[in-house]
Formats: sequence, structure tokens, C-alpha cells
Amino acid sequence: MADLLVALAKLLLFPGFAFLFACAMLFAWIDRLVIARLQGRVGPPWFQPLADWIKLMAKEDILPTGTNGWVCAALPVLSLAAVLTASIYIPVGGWIAHAFEGDLIVVLFLLSLPPLAYFLGGWATGGVYSVIGGNRSLLQYFSYEVPFLMALCSPAILSGSWSIAEIAARQSETIWGALVQPLGFILALVGLIGKLKRAPFDIPKAKSEIVAGPLTEFSGRKLALWHLSIEVKTVVGIFLLVNAFLGGSGVSGLLPAPITFAIKSLLVLLILSVASVLYARLRIDQLANLGWRVLAPLALLQIAATVWIGAT
Amino acid sequence: MSTRITIPIGPQHPLLKEPLSFMITVEGERVVDSALRLGYVHRGIERLCQTKTYVQNLHLFERVCGICSHVHTTAYCQGVEALLGLEVPLRGLYLRTLLCELERVHSHLLWLGVLGENIGFQTIFMYAWRDREIALDIMEELSGGRVTHSGNVIGGVRIDVGDAQFSSIVSRLNDLEQRVEKLLGVIQHERTLRVRTQGIGYLSPEEIRRYCVVGPVARASGVDVDLRRDCKYAAYGRLHVNVALAHEGDVWARTLVRAREAIESLRLCRQLLVGLPEGPTRVRAPRRVPPGEVVSRAEAPRGELLYYIRSDGSDKPARVKIRTPTLTSLITVHDQLEGVETADVSVVLSGIDLCIACVDR
Repeated sequence: MADLLVALAKLLLFPGFAFLFACAMLFAWIDRLVIARLQGRVGPPWFQPLADWIKLMAKEDILPTGTNGWVCAALPVLSLAAVLTASIYIPVGGWIAHAFEGDLIVVLFLLSLPPLAYFLGGWATGGVYSVIGGNRSLLQYFSYEVPFLMALCSPAILSGSWSIAEIAARQSETIWGALVQPLGFILALVGLIGKLKRAPFDIPKAKSEIVAGPLTEFSGRKLALWHLSIEVKTVVGIFLLVNAFLGGSGVSGLLPAPITFAIKSLLVLLILSVASVLYARLRIDQLANLGWRVLAPLALLQIAATVWIGAT
Repeated sequence: MSTRITIPIGPQHPLLKEPLSFMITVEGERVVDSALRLGYVHRGIERLCQTKTYVQNLHLFERVCGICSHVHTTAYCQGVEALLGLEVPLRGLYLRTLLCELERVHSHLLWLGVLGENIGFQTIFMYAWRDREIALDIMEELSGGRVTHSGNVIGGVRIDVGDAQFSSIVSRLNDLEQRVEKLLGVIQHERTLRVRTQGIGYLSPEEIRRYCVVGPVARASGVDVDLRRDCKYAAYGRLHVNVALAHEGDVWARTLVRAREAIESLRLCRQLLVGLPEGPTRVRAPRRVPPGEVVSRAEAPRGELLYYIRSDGSDKPARVKIRTPTLTSLITVHDQLEGVETADVSVVLSGIDLCIACVDR
């Protein structure tokens, strides 16, 4: 009975749903605030993302005639479930809910499900903008996913373990992955921006071109769940990067583990926010070029270098 | 096998701030055809003005366009003044020109913001619109209106600049110039902005001449036309206007031309304020206009604006015909869109600086 309660608490409270929801709202707020300040605006109050989400949940839920309601309802849930499941295997602030040898691969697999759901969401609703957005999101997926996976392989190779907790622990004892493999860290960041469809890689949902891409026809609760799944994915992606490249919660001795972890996460979030302010949106063919001509060869180089370092 | 999809852009679309409809046919991501439909904001202004007196029409023509409202009344007043044979005092002409130039700055910065928004460069949008506020504030101080100034009257202007305002306006203009120069630096050096705009929407000088394109779009293709220098209306005869030119003919060149023009306009504003002659700002105009017809031209922010006015001797115009610059650029859109990527449609459409309210009237 007690085991069941603990498991439930892990799933629902920490580091499960409630914690991630709070983090998602907090990160969304910080992101919006930082972007606003950099653009010379005031920015929203802290409860704005939550208020937006509640408002969206309360709105009327409409779908175009002829679409399958069940599929459209299942897709955002699938997307959200995948990222929430992935979060269970990612250590947060020194707290490890679950870990086994190879959980990095499981997490990467789970994190690649939401883009698929996103693409299907576009095709299931069938509007012109949705279909084009769906196609673009799939093209984008092929551009960033390979460099992202390869970039995340190198810390695993270096530490000789495919467990995220193990990688983080090994790094905090020796040296951060980002310092040994700065290239890998940058590649992973670029990949993460592509994964989260943040500016400048917000190509599948480019407002001035295809309105809102695959999510154009969604509204109300379904749209709220899509947004939540994207915001939670931001949090999970950042946590993953902190563990794989910045030594996780670390044992610096100066600060308690949760605070170290929070600072590192906010640092990664800051990089993402600044990147979205600095650049114009790329075209999908330009992103594909960037992905396959620049990022993928660099990622290969990175892996080769890592293997060579490991061998010597 | 290729499948063709038709994407509707407008009359309601995040890309467009005004109603206009494009049906874009694409194959994959490539545009193969486009069809344009206009007329969503047709208000019958040219017919309506025949039922109103010359003075009432000032307010009507100010509302042809929401952005370049002042240049419309400038062209109209010039025409009526020519029919009346009125000599506008020099101070009036200077102040009229001052508002024209401030309006150009505000229009070009607004456009730069819209371009930034359309290529997903939010920061440019926020910065350009923030800096544009300076120009709007000055215009509000001078006339009481931010975009609709009611500055012109037949026979002069109804605004004036006092000594107290002078130094504050000049210092704000200097500040604005620095900011626009910073934006120009971003346009010239930011790589993502360049890859999105360079080579897009190319128009050769021959095409420009064939379609009679005017304004910054023509100047970006190396066609050196600018009424401020070529026609010397209002106070432009007393100013030295440097016309910004570029030869690339793409959206990037149009961006550069507009940014440089904004800087040049700020320079002209300072010249106008420093050289502002003493004297009255307006003369009284009679209500009835002698019979005759006149063509009046002015350089709007988007290019040559033409007013044809015919009078039958009453206090109401017999016919007014307006030709706005955007129409000529709209005709080129079909050519510009052929073969571009879907993502570049927004860039092409922003590149010509659409003003649908002007076109439809």
C-alpha cells in the first residue's frame, strides 16, 4: 500500500504532473518576460501563462466537420503523456525517481513522439494550413532530430553509461560535458530549439505564412493540452540538457542540489529566449540545409572526437 | 505526380493588416500561380467627394489612407490652390513639408516592423514600432493627431512651431536618427534577415518601367525617380534631397532603401526646422473655385501620388480622381510570386508595402 502511494506521489506530485505543470507555467512566464524585456516591452505578470491556460480550457471546443473527434482528442493527450513519461527518468535537483541502464534512449524515444502527434494533428484536422504545417513539421523533424540524437550520444559514450542519472553523476564528479564537448552542447541546444519549434525554427507554425500550422483548427481544451504538452516538453528538454551536459544537480558543496539545478535550468532557458529574440525565422529548405550540411557533419565529427578521446 | 493545393491568403489572415484576397496555388512548397482580388474596403470616396464642398473634402481625403493621410491632403490642397491661383506663404509650405517628412519616417518604420513580423523577426518589429512612437509624438504635438493630423487647409497649414518646441523636437529627431541608423545596421548585417530577403521578389528595371512602378520599390531596382527632387512641390525646391537608391531589386534592397530614406527624411526635417521662415502660415481661400482642371502630384511614402481635380465653378469639385502608388506595385505581385517558396509569399507581399485602403478608396 505504501509503495503504491509513493509511486502515485511520484507520478502525480513530484517529479510528476503537478511539479512539471508548475515548472511549465514558471518557465513559460520567465521566457515571455525575458523576451519582452529584450524587445523593450514590459512583459506579462507571473500568472499570465496560467490564466491563458485556464481561459483556453474553458473555451468552446470546435472541430471542422468531417474530422474524427476521437483522434483529435487522443493526439494532444498522447503528446502530453509521452513527455510526462519521459520526465520520470530525468533526475531533478538530485532527486531520481526512476533510473536504469539505457533510460537515455527511452527518453529520447519518448521525446520524439510529440512531433509525430503534432504532424498527425495537422493531417487529422485537414485544413490547408494544417496540412502544410504538418508537412513542414515532419521535414523539420528530419532536419534536427539526427544531429540532436548524435549530440546526446557523446556524453553517454564519454561517461560509459546510457543512464541519464549516471551521466550526470559522472560529470559532476569530473567535469561538465559542456566544457569537454562545447560543440555537442551547442548542437543539442540547436536541436532542442528545433524540437520545441521555438523561434527561429518556428517554421511549422509560422503565423504570417500558415496561420498556426497543424494547430490551426484546434480550439478549447484540445488546444490547451497541445500548448501544455509543448510547454512541458520545454521543461523536460531543458532538464535533459542540464543532466547530459551541465552535470545535473552537481555536488558543488556551495549550494544545495535543487538550487544548483534550478540555476542551470534557468541558464539554458535564458539561452533559448535570447536565441528566439536574435534571429529571423528560417525557411524550411534553409533549415534542412542547415541540418544536413552543417549540423549533422558536425555531430558526426563530435562523436568521432568523443570516441577518440575515450580510446586514449 | 504533383498535387496542387490552393492556399487562401486573406481577406482575413495574420499576414495582412488590411483586407485583400490572394489565392496562392502551390505545388509542394513552390508557388505556381496566384490570383488577386481587391475591393473589400471600397468606400466610394471619389463619388462621395462630389457631394461635399472643397473644405469638407479635406477631411474626406485625409481618410483615404490611414498611414499617409497628410500627403493625400497635400496633393489635394496643392491642386485646389493651383486652381484658385493662391500663393501659399513660405512658412506654411515648410510646415506642410515637415509633416510630409515625419509621415514618411513613421510610414517606413511601420513597414519595417511589419516586415520583421512577417519573416518571424519579432525583435525588429518591436524596436521599429517603439522608435516610430517618437515621430508620432512629434506629429501629435504639432497637430493634435498621431496619424490623422488635419494639418493642411486650402491656402496653407493650421499648425505652427513655437520657439519652445523647436529645440525639443530637434533633439528628439537626433535621437530617432541614431535609432534608425542602428536598425539599418541590423538590416545590413543580420544574416538570418538577409537570407530571408535577398533574392526574393526580384524586379528588373525594365519590369519596373513596364508596370510603371513608383516609389521605394522602383528605387530599389535602380530606377531613379523621386518627385521630391524631380517635381519640387511644396518646400522641396529649397531643400537638397538625396535620393536613396539600390540596384539589387529584391526585398532586401527595398528594406535598405526605406531605412535610408527614413534617415534622409529626418535630415530634411532638421533642415526645415532650422530654415523655417517667419511670416503667416496660411492665406484665406475663397469658397468657390473657378472652372478648370489640374493634376497635382506628391511623393507619398509609397511613391508617386496623383490627384486629378476638375472644377465647374461651384464650391464642390466636379470630379476628383486619385491614383495611389500601391496599385502599380500590386500588379507586379503575380510576377514576383511565380516560383517562390510558400514561406516567401509573406516576404514578397510585405516587400511592396501594401496600402489596401489607398488602392480601394
